[in-house]
Amino acid sequence: MPPFKIPSRVKFRKEFRRISRVNRNATGGNYVAYGDFGLQALESCWLKSNCIEAGRVAAQHYLKREGKLFIRIFPDKPVSKKPLETRMGTGKAEVDYWAARIKAGTVLFEITGVSEETAKRAFSRVAMKMPVRCRFVARRITV
Amino acid sequence: MHEDAPILEANRRAKLGSRYAKRARAEGRIPAVVYGHKQDAVPVALDSRAAVRHFNKGERVFRIAIDGSTPAYILLKDLQFDHLGTHPVHADFMRVDLHERITVNVSVHLVGEAKGLGTAGAVMIRPYTEIEVECTLATLPEFIEVNVADMDVGSSLTAKQVALPDASMKLKTSPDAVVAHIVIVQEEKVAEAAPTDAAAAAATPAAGPAVITEEKKKERDAAKADADKPAAKGGAPKK
Repeated sequence: MPPFKIPSRVKFRKEFRRISRVNRNATGGNYVAYGDFGLQALESCWLKSNCIEAGRVAAQHYLKREGKLFIRIFPDKPVSKKPLETRMGTGKAEVDYWAARIKAGTVLFEITGVSEETAKRAFSRVAMKMPVRCRFVARRITV
Repeated sequence: MHEDAPILEANRRAKLGSRYAKRARAEGRIPAVVYGHKQDAVPVALDSRAAVRHFNKGERVFRIAIDGSTPAYILLKDLQFDHLGTHPVHADFMRVDLHERITVNVSVHLVGEAKGLGTAGAVMIRPYTEIEVECTLATLPEFIEVNVADMDVGSSLTAKQVALPDASMKLKTSPDAVVAHIVIVQEEKVAEAAPTDAAAAAATPAAGPAVITEEKKKERDAAKADADKPAAKGGAPKK
């Protein structure tokens, strides 16, 4: 079992890169829905599954069984990569890693059951593990 | 209660569409629409700073004066934000009467320190932070307070247990919707189950996800092989 989450079943083993769809703004999943505070990505990227796991470990190590952490993203995109010093051709390479598609505004993690100060400190540690700029957010005003 | 609702000065938008809405936002105005009471919807633009100040204070009932006309009561029905959730980009207002029954979402504020939260690892989860109620504008509360001091680990607070502040108010949310419950959080064991050193990682087979199309192909091939077997037996020449 890999040390991080990947899909248990997929329809196809490999998929196209669809790189043109990366630099977009989030239209969903861009607000705090489950917890009280969240960590929001300000840039778009493909977030590797090991980065998500590193963020989870960093947050839970700081929280020490206090509060509940929600992971709002899932690495469902297989990214393939040819080995080094390999000639071009011979078909598409094997899957190298799994990534979550992150758009600017996507909420990555949420926390409930802790004070705002604790949540800020936990998320500052998580943000260091992320390859994109992030910011701390709270719930939006309710209408 | 809402007789002294804040007045929003608005101008009717002559030109509609995303291009003109963007220009309005650049000028410091929020595009909005006013509808209801079987009248035509009116696209308007509001002063952004004044409107956002009221929204952040939690105001939802306003009086709107469109192009200097007599102020009419409106209720904030929806607010759209930009992709980062920082700035409102559009607002929906519904025309209302002070004594008309309306259906609105009211946020539930939990007061008191629940005794179950003293247990190690106990966390209060809030699946619903607001409930839908039917009431008149005159009795519309800003929020509903619920005392959770008696809640213990494993107990939950449902929508029907939330005491509505006015007798004329009706609960529209499902009565069994959980507003708050206290659970003991179990730490995920994903990282611990993983091999830690490189040798163990190399020994573990790279288990990828199951591929649905390949499973179906195997099923088809197996079915085809089964179908071929009796045909081969039946096709044997008799002597």
